[in-house]
Amino acid sequence: MAKQPKPEELAKVDYTPPMTAWMDTPAVLKPGNFCNAAKEKSLQLLDMPNPRTWSAKDDDWKLPDNWKEIVLEGLRERLDKYRSLRVFMDICVRCGACADKCHFFIGTGDPKNMPVLRAELLRSIYRKEFTTAGKILGRFAGAREMSLDVLKEWWYYFFQCTECRRCSVFCPYGIDQAEITMVGRELLNLLGLNIDWIMGPASACYHKGNHLGLEPHTFKSSIEFFLDDIEEITGIRPEPTFNRKGAEILFVTPSGDVFADPGTYTCMGYLLLFHELGLDYTWSTYASEGGNFGFFTSMDVAQKLNYKIYAEAKRLGVKWILGGECGHMWRVLNQYMDTWNGPADFLEVPTSPITGTRFDAAKSTKMIHIAEFTADLMRHGKLKLDPSRNDNKILTWHDSCNTARGMGFFEEPRYVLKKVVNNFYEMPENTIREKTFCCGSGSGLNASENMDIRLKGGLPRANAVKYVNEKFGVNFVGNICAIDRAALTTSIDYWAPGVRVTGLHELVGNALVMEGEKKRTSDLRGEPLPGCEAEE
Amino acid sequence: MKTVSCSDIKATLDDEGFLTDSAEWNEEVACLIAAEEGVELTEEMMSIIRFLRGYYYEYHAFPILRQVCRDIHQARGCIQDNFVDPMRAWKIAGLPHLVGVEFISTDPEGRIYETSTPG
Repeated sequence: MAKQPKPEELAKVDYTPPMTAWMDTPAVLKPGNFCNAAKEKSLQLLDMPNPRTWSAKDDDWKLPDNWKEIVLEGLRERLDKYRSLRVFMDICVRCGACADKCHFFIGTGDPKNMPVLRAELLRSIYRKEFTTAGKILGRFAGAREMSLDVLKEWWYYFFQCTECRRCSVFCPYGIDQAEITMVGRELLNLLGLNIDWIMGPASACYHKGNHLGLEPHTFKSSIEFFLDDIEEITGIRPEPTFNRKGAEILFVTPSGDVFADPGTYTCMGYLLLFHELGLDYTWSTYASEGGNFGFFTSMDVAQKLNYKIYAEAKRLGVKWILGGECGHMWRVLNQYMDTWNGPADFLEVPTSPITGTRFDAAKSTKMIHIAEFTADLMRHGKLKLDPSRNDNKILTWHDSCNTARGMGFFEEPRYVLKKVVNNFYEMPENTIREKTFCCGSGSGLNASENMDIRLKGGLPRANAVKYVNEKFGVNFVGNICAIDRAALTTSIDYWAPGVRVTGLHELVGNALVMEGEKKRTSDLRGEPLPGCEAEE
Repeated sequence: MKTVSCSDIKATLDDEGFLTDSAEWNEEVACLIAAEEGVELTEEMMSIIRFLRGYYYEYHAFPILRQVCRDIHQARGCIQDNFVDPMRAWKIAGLPHLVGVEFISTDPEGRIYETSTPG
């Protein structure tokens, strides 16, 4: 892969806007700032329009002759369908409050990464086609004609937005930029203009159950491998079950947890916790993906991929569903699943079998997040914990955009964190909770060919991590998102080397004192526990 | 696409350096691809390569890296220690590019590679 410039170089951001007006400044597709085109086969598997081999680098994107008609008709349909979209198209007064809130703008200085201008890319076409002022006054009313250049500009910039919604927090009207990007991407998908890193996983998920395309026996063998590790570390071998009918709870987590470090250690944490509780739960090799890359494609694809969670819950006859640590997975589950594929009347309101707590906030979706489940266990004193096992770790907490801004999950993970670690420092106030900065690679942009934009977009988050690293000696950043675990590992390593990334339940697994366990000398990574260094 | 050869052995690699037909692979082909990648194969490296192939044919997936090292009784990090980029080992094993598997280095001096997977 291409070498990256040194961090000092990449951090020199030029904020001088181009001399030409934005409508007269066509997008230039810079290498490292866009992703490979979606493959023909992925589109075919999902029955998506215009499957073919193409490349964004070519002049000819192999579009259907009537592409303009398709896009404009697609926009019309969505304006009719989503009242919110029409409001977001009409209401912006271009006050600029959002302009410098986007991590991609901060990291690139490209004005089209200001949320207001990114939205104008679509809004200008809306005005031209759907407003009287735009039809008559044209450019004076901020309207412009749809053209191939505009289409390419959309593709470039709608795949440079991670749908993190930080800008929306600062918008006096609450315009949801993520929804604008989502519509922009839907329109592009009508022409087969997606990226490989999204369509590959989405089609693999549709075909085989998860983004990585892990087959049932592979999925199972990965978890069995964790059991070997767990047994070596704790002397205990949990006995998880798969596709078990009649289990009380179905557990669904992003497949990254089953395959990629450091998510695998978080997965080991789940296994330890469930074993200690004696939880009556099952994994599924069919609903083996909590994440949903369809969500970065279109609502239809997202709905299709999401469907199997309820379908499997019904097939297995479980009472309710527990979900693992993931970000966008929870935006989907919390805000869309119920209306797409619900109501799940065949399930019961999630009730912790250990504490008796009924999670009424999930009374409609019937699915709760493991951070709230574990926080509740701790609040009722049901877990024996030894936080000193994490004493060689100095933590800070990254609020994942979708769980934080999407579902207001600020306290639950912190409550758990404070029970399992002794050293915890917050990053600066304007970079956490609802104002948290994106990892820089969310919404399906954590590929490798767009590393330049990923690192630039990751700078604001990493910079805050670096701050607490220098001030308090922070050496771990915790989070509850699988994309964060993959993406932050890369960007933090680049911008703030020496700080590592961990999931919440990895820390829980380390601190959990289990019945019948042997004296532990190493943590879940196989690294010595504090005080055991000499024994190693 | 290019054809690489050494005496009478030939192999066809795609634009990214993956063997176009995994079935064409044998240990001599591995040496050929390794040369393309600028790697000289040792016995330790060959045991990793053999494991990767065995794993792929059974599971159709890229294994968890530390699982490889454990199963062939080598130190954790054996793949990176030997190949730097795990994908290089995969290529030498003659296996196809898989969906959602990328290994990323953020260090321009280059010893730290990480897995990137779709969440």
